[in-house]
Amino acid sequence: MTTIAPSCGTGDLTTFNILHAFPEALVRGMRSSFLRDPEYHHLTQCESLDDARLNLTETDYSEVLADSSTMTPASLQKAAIQKLVTEFQYLRSQAVQPLSQFLDFITYEYMIENVILLLKGALSGRDINELIEQCHPLGMFKESTMRSIPTFENSAKGYMDLYQTVLVDTPVGPYFSLFLQESASHHGGDSRNVLEEVEIEIIKSSLIKYWIEDFHQFTQKLGGDTAKLMGDLLNVRADTNAINITLNSFGTPLNEPAMRSSDRKRLYPAVGHLYPAGTSMLVDVADEEELGRVLELFPQYSAIWNVHANGQGDKSIDDCFYERDVEMLELAFESQMHYAVFYAYVKLKEQEIRNLVWISECILQQQKDEINKFVPVFSFHAPWREMKPRR
Amino acid sequence: MSSAVCQSEFCNQGWSEVLTHMSPYGYASFGVAFGLGLSVVGAAWGIWLTGSSLVGASVKAPRIRSKNLISVIFCEATAIYGVIMAIILANKIKKPEDTGFYLDQNWDYAGYYYAGYGMFSAGLSVGLTNIASGISVGIAGSSCAIADAQDASLFVKILIVEIFASALGIFGIIVGIIQSNACTFPIAAMEG
Repeated sequence: MTTIAPSCGTGDLTTFNILHAFPEALVRGMRSSFLRDPEYHHLTQCESLDDARLNLTETDYSEVLADSSTMTPASLQKAAIQKLVTEFQYLRSQAVQPLSQFLDFITYEYMIENVILLLKGALSGRDINELIEQCHPLGMFKESTMRSIPTFENSAKGYMDLYQTVLVDTPVGPYFSLFLQESASHHGGDSRNVLEEVEIEIIKSSLIKYWIEDFHQFTQKLGGDTAKLMGDLLNVRADTNAINITLNSFGTPLNEPAMRSSDRKRLYPAVGHLYPAGTSMLVDVADEEELGRVLELFPQYSAIWNVHANGQGDKSIDDCFYERDVEMLELAFESQMHYAVFYAYVKLKEQEIRNLVWISECILQQQKDEINKFVPVFSFHAPWREMKPRR
Repeated sequence: MSSAVCQSEFCNQGWSEVLTHMSPYGYASFGVAFGLGLSVVGAAWGIWLTGSSLVGASVKAPRIRSKNLISVIFCEATAIYGVIMAIILANKIKKPEDTGFYLDQNWDYAGYYYAGYGMFSAGLSVGLTNIASGISVGIAGSSCAIADAQDASLFVKILIVEIFASALGIFGIIVGIIQSNACTFPIAAMEG
């Protein structure tokens, strides 16, 4: 699959502002809407969800919460995501090429999630309207397309039909077609015989892998600061995926020696610091100890792995990854005249939404000792800042 | 080939004549054009660099609107330097009194050529420094607007950067005025 070439470069320090100054200044203005340390402090002190709601009305979330009378973690999450979507659509409407293509790439990830959600929902026979309610708003297709996805059967022929009639016109069509081609060539047969027993999770991992590679190539073609910063962010993302795939495959059929080199290997992205040497070593990893030994060779991951392996302070490996991600995404805001700030904004906003949901769940379940386990965004008391000794 | 070279005194003596045989009035007028034109290019570049960031940043932080127009004013100042220089130079270009077909024997040729070259380089000094100054103020102004939207105390500090950037244009006009000071086009033959 050849990535679409951007219509022109991003422009350097002296020419970036011609086309992209307005959206960039907008997204930097939106940076001030992140919750600060005092606000998080007030929220964690709340006794009930109504208190939390009162505190949130003093932040940027006041408008989205004004409609509902009571707040639950689910409704808070929905309102916060809707706010992010409104802001993102405002940015997208003001963007021109190649920034608009870049912003579209950010939404493809959510489209993939929605397609997988609809397929899974079809398998368990849930109502289509319920499923569409649950879809992530950033990755919506046309209504008719989305309604027709669950009507396809979970078989090889079903997927082929699904691709040819529905997905081929959507932006994620190329990823699906690559997945079908590769499965067909791997199983050495007609693609209709493929996917007899393929799990939906494997389809999702493959689609995400193709998306990361496509996005990475696109940013490299853009050149300049964007290529450097986005290359770094996507490399780290790909590595996180590779490590998670390996970790989650222990104890499943994917970990058997025969499956490892054929199926698991195909899920590792072809970008990242771990590619190619690390991923070829990861193919042979059978348990956590071997995984630890492979990751020792990569300094940026050995520290994260050690936290997980030693089980320090019940911090999970996901928490470590989130912390590392937030640290890197904040750095995207440090320089001007590049596109990485748009990607960083969406991801950091997602992290904030995760934080809000965590805090509200803890308040609901009265788990006060767990409530501080979130990663604050743009905070002076962030874990990585506190670890550095002040001179 | 040497036999093919023209030997008469009316023939050209090579490409260097493009430069040596251009009229000083031509040089002086190009000096005016470059001085004004390049300054305006620099100012315009700076204004769109800073103005576009300013309107975007003020969507979320309307309080920065009026203060940050200073950046636009700094850019505009570089255009004004260009206009000042162009007016000074244009006033020095004088048509000689009626001399007939050829200039007089006592014509102040030294001053004549000095005036032409001097005004050309004065115009270039001002124009090129103002391009650099304009772009520099523009980029700094764009960052100033975005930073001010986040933290109001940053505005004055980044303004100092812009002041230094704007000083580059002042260097250009100072040197330009010194260069063009002694340039006068002779309008009549010298006495004696």
